[in-house]
Amino acid sequence: MANVIEVKDLHRNYVTHKGWVRRKKHIVTAVDGITFDVREGEIFGLLGQNGAGKTTTIKMLITLLAPTGGTCRVLGHDTMSESKEIRSRINFIFGGELGVYRRLSARDNLKYFANLYRVEPKTAKKQINEILQLVDLSDKADLRVETYSKGMIQRLQIGRGLVNDPEIILMDEPTVGLDPLGARMLRDVIRKLKERGKTVLLTTHYMYEADELCDRIAIIHRGKIVALNTPKGLKQSVKGNEAIEVSVDRAEPAALDRIKALSGVKALTVKECETGEIIHVSYSADTDISGPLLDILADSRIVSWSRKELTLEDAFIILTGEDE
Amino acid sequence: MNLRILASTMLVQMKHSFARPVFKLCMLIAPVADTILLYYMFRHSGRADFGMYVVLGAGLTSLWETILFSSMGDINRERYNGTLSLLFGMPTRFPLILLGKIIGNTILSFATLIISYITAYVLFGITLTVNSAGLLAAALLLAGVSFVVVSQFTAYALTLSRKTVVYMNCLNFPIFLLCGFAFPIEILPAWALPISYALPPTWAVRMLRMCFAATIEPALFGQYALILIGELVLFALLARLLFIVIDRQVRIHATLEVF
Repeated sequence: MANVIEVKDLHRNYVTHKGWVRRKKHIVTAVDGITFDVREGEIFGLLGQNGAGKTTTIKMLITLLAPTGGTCRVLGHDTMSESKEIRSRINFIFGGELGVYRRLSARDNLKYFANLYRVEPKTAKKQINEILQLVDLSDKADLRVETYSKGMIQRLQIGRGLVNDPEIILMDEPTVGLDPLGARMLRDVIRKLKERGKTVLLTTHYMYEADELCDRIAIIHRGKIVALNTPKGLKQSVKGNEAIEVSVDRAEPAALDRIKALSGVKALTVKECETGEIIHVSYSADTDISGPLLDILADSRIVSWSRKELTLEDAFIILTGEDE
Repeated sequence: MNLRILASTMLVQMKHSFARPVFKLCMLIAPVADTILLYYMFRHSGRADFGMYVVLGAGLTSLWETILFSSMGDINRERYNGTLSLLFGMPTRFPLILLGKIIGNTILSFATLIISYITAYVLFGITLTVNSAGLLAAALLLAGVSFVVVSQFTAYALTLSRKTVVYMNCLNFPIFLLCGFAFPIEILPAWALPISYALPPTWAVRMLRMCFAATIEPALFGQYALILIGELVLFALLARLLFIVIDRQVRIHATLEVF
């Protein structure tokens, strides 16, 4: 399969100035020399924490931001000097509630954006009805967007991203803030797009979403790509590690710090649950942390204890070295 | 295709603007207030034609305010709404989209002239006599185009900065003074006159006043029209050049959005 996106040694700095008289230049490096390709028809994920450089990368790919260095080509064209050739063949969806006209109806929004994408009115009319059905907004299509819920606005955003039947769709955290049903619907839409041969580049910080949808994932951390592989490949890349999940009534911060400090512990995450908290510890397989772990948690009531398969989240944390 | 895009952008903009309470306030209330204030300022001026200064002054001032706070304010609204970057990333060129928006707002804003006249007539019994309907239509058209061109030029510049609101407020009063909306520009200091002459609305205002004067000099009207058209062409060319710079700069400095 041909590459439809080619990124080589891409850099992007943001320059800000501080002070009134002696203005100090402050440079923030958002993207720091990343290289990756996206193949035609695949779902490619950029996985990273907030501020990792995912959105900046997407903005350079959609021709809205100039790279500070390196090259960035979409459908064979340079995103800075040949943006015209790219724009009609791609579309993009930003997560959240922005990017639509709230005082217009969903239908008017879609009609307007289809027009700006130079879609013929007849084609647009048919396409808009299909899109409204796909994003489940047909019955509310003629109401003003300002009367919509957050999830409905995001679904409309997704619809807007499809009005020109793009070859590549770039989605920046499209499920942020969506309810579980809305998020599932979006995942179904993404799968349907793949079935129709579309290429999808998706940024997310939801591990299960990336695991479930993506053919390949690039883990981006502090502006650099630290790993690029299939979800399975990423999990295998941290082979030699194991994971234990302990459900406790309450996890004291001091106890968590002691667990982190144990020899062989690679990553630790804590999630709240109905019965208390779930501590997920991934560690080097050549060490046995069960005994020390039990000692540390002696003051907590252990509800359950189980050995787990390594998840993409484990792989992410081990590869980025971040467990906060 | 471009005409369809222009028309749909105008329509969307008009719908959107009219749904905003601030726009309605600028368009419907400001001309009433401006007319009343200007009437009390001008009534002892001793000029027989002070009614024309009241109506045109109030109407044009409100028209400029409405365009300024809608068209140029739209750059900021679109930026905060996350749609500015969408519009910039379209296959349709951004200048065409912006032009449609500004024309839409300008058409709506012309209501200020009518409201100003109705206010002056109802409250103070001021009537205006048009000496040539054809020339008035031409003057109104050229006035509209001159406001559109100046707005387009300014709106481009405002995409470069996130401090749009500050610059927008700074532009309100100088244009009102320099273009002589409510008084002849000849009373301005000599050093300010070249700036006034360089602004297309100055000539449009002069032409509009001529249409309500006791007599009209067609040759002078034509001369003003030629100067105005010349300036419009120059502004349009400058705007084109400015956009080439802006198209690069907004992508280098990332000013299309707020972070």
